[in-house]
Amino acid sequence: MAVLKNKISLKNISKTFYLKDRTVEVLKDITFDVKENEFLVLLGPGQCGKTVMLNIMADLEKQTSGAIEFDGSRPTMGDLGVVFQKYALFPWKTVIGNVEMNQKLKGVDKETRRAKAREYINLVGLQGFESSLPKQLSGGMKQRVGIARAYASESDIMLMDEPFGALDAQTRYQMEDEIIKIWEKNKRTIVFVTNNVEEAVYLGDRILLLASRPSYIKKEYIVDLPRPRSQTDRAFLELRNEIVENTDLDI
Amino acid sequence: MNSADTKKWYYMLPIISIAILLGGWMLVAQGEGSMIPTPYATLMRFLDICVHPISKAVLPVHMWMSLKRVLIAFVFAIVLGIGLGVGLGWSTSFHAFADPVFEILRPIPPIAWIPLVILWCGIGELPKVVIVFIGSFVPIVLNTYSGIKEIDSLLINAGLVLGANRRQLLTEITLPATTPAILAGIRTALSSGWMCVVAAEMIAAKQGVGFLIVRGQESGDTALIVACMLVIGVVSLLLSTILSKLEGVLCPWQFSKTK
Repeated sequence: MAVLKNKISLKNISKTFYLKDRTVEVLKDITFDVKENEFLVLLGPGQCGKTVMLNIMADLEKQTSGAIEFDGSRPTMGDLGVVFQKYALFPWKTVIGNVEMNQKLKGVDKETRRAKAREYINLVGLQGFESSLPKQLSGGMKQRVGIARAYASESDIMLMDEPFGALDAQTRYQMEDEIIKIWEKNKRTIVFVTNNVEEAVYLGDRILLLASRPSYIKKEYIVDLPRPRSQTDRAFLELRNEIVENTDLDI
Repeated sequence: MNSADTKKWYYMLPIISIAILLGGWMLVAQGEGSMIPTPYATLMRFLDICVHPISKAVLPVHMWMSLKRVLIAFVFAIVLGIGLGVGLGWSTSFHAFADPVFEILRPIPPIAWIPLVILWCGIGELPKVVIVFIGSFVPIVLNTYSGIKEIDSLLINAGLVLGANRRQLLTEITLPATTPAILAGIRTALSSGWMCVVAAEMIAAKQGVGFLIVRGQESGDTALIVACMLVIGVVSLLLSTILSKLEGVLCPWQFSKTK
């Protein structure tokens, strides 16, 4: 197997919040690489600092120490696709208005950006809903818009912060299949944050298990299972159980 | 009760309450020399002033005078109020600079300005417009400001990662997200402005519904007073309905009931 290029390298990243009455150490000496076009899952208990880590990668927050390197230059704002847990759709924009936002902010002319937005709306299976408002959509559909909007930034790096965390179980399974389909059709480097072990094993090429606060990388798992995976498959369950045993149970 | 009956009942209730109001009104208006006009007398007076001018103008003209003052003041209040509100909410240094002054002036009831404004601007159209402006400017500033302050930080983050610069963050994200709050401010401002115009006209005016009420007081014409009060109420209801429609058009994502 060819050695894959590193897309992102985090080196000794630490993050401490200095509050009025105390300091909270959230991330402690985090070092890992994200390989090109891999589906990397960051798995950890709630409140363990996964979102902070993603925010640091997205440049929404600054690390206290350590360095983050990208293949080539650091992507500027707008050159990274981010999918948020609570969708963060603009409620006053239609589906297509949300999806084209990145291109609009970059000053791309209307015809070009609309065409591109349609392409990504088709990719996530929302054709026919272009002019719907977010409030008219179900949770799963909202997050499809979120994914299309992130994809439309045409970044080769996608950061996803518990994107299916707010969905009901049924929709969640659907969306897990959907994201794999989308990713296989349109390969990007995905960093996917979750606190759900099954979801991690179902989706990831590789899983980094995080310890609870302060968060550090406890263990790395390579998920060498063919896709589509089955959640009742023996190998699947063995890996799942192994991870569960190693997980800090302070959720 | 089944649901059809319940529905009928809900249609009946407002009719009943209005009937009680009218009945009570008729009851207290009974008797010679009552200081309360009967509903019938009020209606007759209303029809009368619609055709026979008082102070050279029929009721619709007085109404229009009052409305015009409110609308002129309102245009200035909306433009300047949103401007100041955005400034206070968006720029920390502008907030530090302007907020203390605004906070000192804000709690003064707009009506308390009337004597000073009349001294400054005389008794023409200007003082009424200025009073209404003071009354409607403040709620628009406050709502715009707090709307910007309370914007969901998630939407700001989404704007940032999508590449919005500071100007785009304001025009593409913050202002649209704040529109419902601004509209709520405009709604409060409208009722406050309407209140102010009547008050200002009661003190110094030759035309307008506030003037008509005072004329009624001076001539002991209670039917005129009550007729004007009802007209003021109805117009204010109309304005508020128009505004609701406008909210549905400007902010369908917030106000209209689609699906």
